Amino acid sequence: MPANRQAPLVRREALGGAYHLLTFQHREASREARAGQFVMIKAGLSAEPPLRRPFSILAVDPERETFTLFVKAVGEGTRALCAMTEGELAQCLAPLGRAFTPPPAGTEAVMVAGGYGIAPFRLFSEELRRAGRSGRVFYGGRTVADLQLRDGFEPLGVPLVPATEDGSLGARGRVTVPLEAHLDGGPGPLRLYACGPDAMLRAVARLAEARGLAAEVSLDPWMGCGIGTCLGCVVLVRPADGSRPRYRCACTEGPVFDAATVVWPEHP
Amino acid sequence: MKLAVQVGSLRFKNPLIAASGTFGYGVEYEGLLDLSRLGGLVSKGLYLEPRDGCATPRIAETPSGLLNAIGLQGVGVRVFVKDVLPRLARYDTAVLVNVCGDTVEEYAEVARILDGAPGVHGLEINISCPNVKKGGMAFGGDPVMTHEVVAAVRKATRLPVIPKLSPNVADITVFARAAEEAGADALSCINTLLGLAVDVETRRPRLAFGTGGLSGPAIRPVAVRMAWQAARAVKIPVIGVGGITAARDALEFLIAGCRAVQIGTANFVDPGLYDRILMDLAEYLERHGLADVNEVVGTLQYPLT
Repeated sequence: MPANRQAPLVRREALGGAYHLLTFQHREASREARAGQFVMIKAGLSAEPPLRRPFSILAVDPERETFTLFVKAVGEGTRALCAMTEGELAQCLAPLGRAFTPPPAGTEAVMVAGGYGIAPFRLFSEELRRAGRSGRVFYGGRTVADLQLRDGFEPLGVPLVPATEDGSLGARGRVTVPLEAHLDGGPGPLRLYACGPDAMLRAVARLAEARGLAAEVSLDPWMGCGIGTCLGCVVLVRPADGSRPRYRCACTEGPVFDAATVVWPEHP
Repeated sequence: MKLAVQVGSLRFKNPLIAASGTFGYGVEYEGLLDLSRLGGLVSKGLYLEPRDGCATPRIAETPSGLLNAIGLQGVGVRVFVKDVLPRLARYDTAVLVNVCGDTVEEYAEVARILDGAPGVHGLEINISCPNVKKGGMAFGGDPVMTHEVVAAVRKATRLPVIPKLSPNVADITVFARAAEEAGADALSCINTLLGLAVDVETRRPRLAFGTGGLSGPAIRPVAVRMAWQAARAVKIPVIGVGGITAARDALEFLIAGCRAVQIGTANFVDPGLYDRILMDLAEYLERHGLADVNEVVGTLQYPLT
């Protein structure tokens, strides 16, 4: 069950650039969160900015009762979070949303991350390892500085393949370049999991459809409440019964959706 | 400390009511807070049939505010009666239903269905949603139509009828009086303020619908002013709503003449705020030597003498 708590920041680590690791105390999230789930969180009790922000959970520590977020300070809400000092309180509702569906036995989890979309895949890789499943990560960004946290996967037995648009690390170009190369190489049974910018998610969804692969995408629309009451974060989704697409809350029925069911908006 | 308030024939155990459109159908908050702690709750707006609502994006954060164009996505009144009301019956709180319609007849029909439904304590009439093409603000922006909708609902139900007025008018007292004459038992003041937020990179509105309704602390002074004006213009009680996040905000409305208040956007920010506000409200009353929250209602020292 999600719990609404004042969560103290217990550890703050600046990774360079605008990137931070923020660890908060929150019993329920630390014990119950599964990869792909998220928290709604806001620094302090100030009126500005008004809303909490959603973040995928990067890691949990049930013994210390903490969870960790990977946050890039880009706007008012994320800057306020990254400026917190240890011991300060955040308002936090967690864990929320639908997690990734683990692959069946004998099927590899192929994770595709763009930028800070890497966050849920650390926890997912830990889950895969515990379940005895194999996985690999394709990790894309504009430049090498955007590919944070890439060292955390190999120790979990999950190979990581980087790609940068400027060629500063790994394949030059979009993350779909090495991904397609892998798919062309005749891999065994696999399932795709993607988290990152909308354009990347759409590309992965198209690629999955063209190749007849199962894929899950973690969507990141603006969210108001995180629990399905504001109806602000809805996504147009095709129901399983084949009836016309309906709006579904990304916070409660997502953020992870079957890529084949998502009706992508016409304008980006 | 006495926190119970009377709004017409409706009794609320405390003056805090969750506002329509910010609290789902109430049941979404089960597990996060005890709904019996609320004075009452108002459901998301309901039409006869389910509604899809607006395209996305539907919300944009603005300074101290939230601009939304949800477009009254909802399950329809029959599903609400069948699936939601039985779940709400477990809680000791007043359940108000926000009634919508594309036509006067639809408002009346929704009201008729709710009239016979167990567990409904009152009807809030949505004549002020800015995010639909028909109904909503189109009715609430015209005093003749306001009168017509309220009178039609009045005829269709024995339940208390509470029109929710729009702030997007030059003189809210005209609408308050029209609603009172048509048989309203109380008024909710106010709905969201019509706004427009622009994405300067794309030069498009930030919301797919274009304009939206502004809520949150940004609108509180406007809401207090309009609730105050309405309360002075009519004999029926007024429920204040707009930007309440704390006990002191609720007190502004009560002092300005409201018998109860609704909490809206703040539900999104902190679903745990009711306990905090109730505690702070009791602390305020004690500090001012008052034993009953009703003693502050309408005590605004203004016009200054």
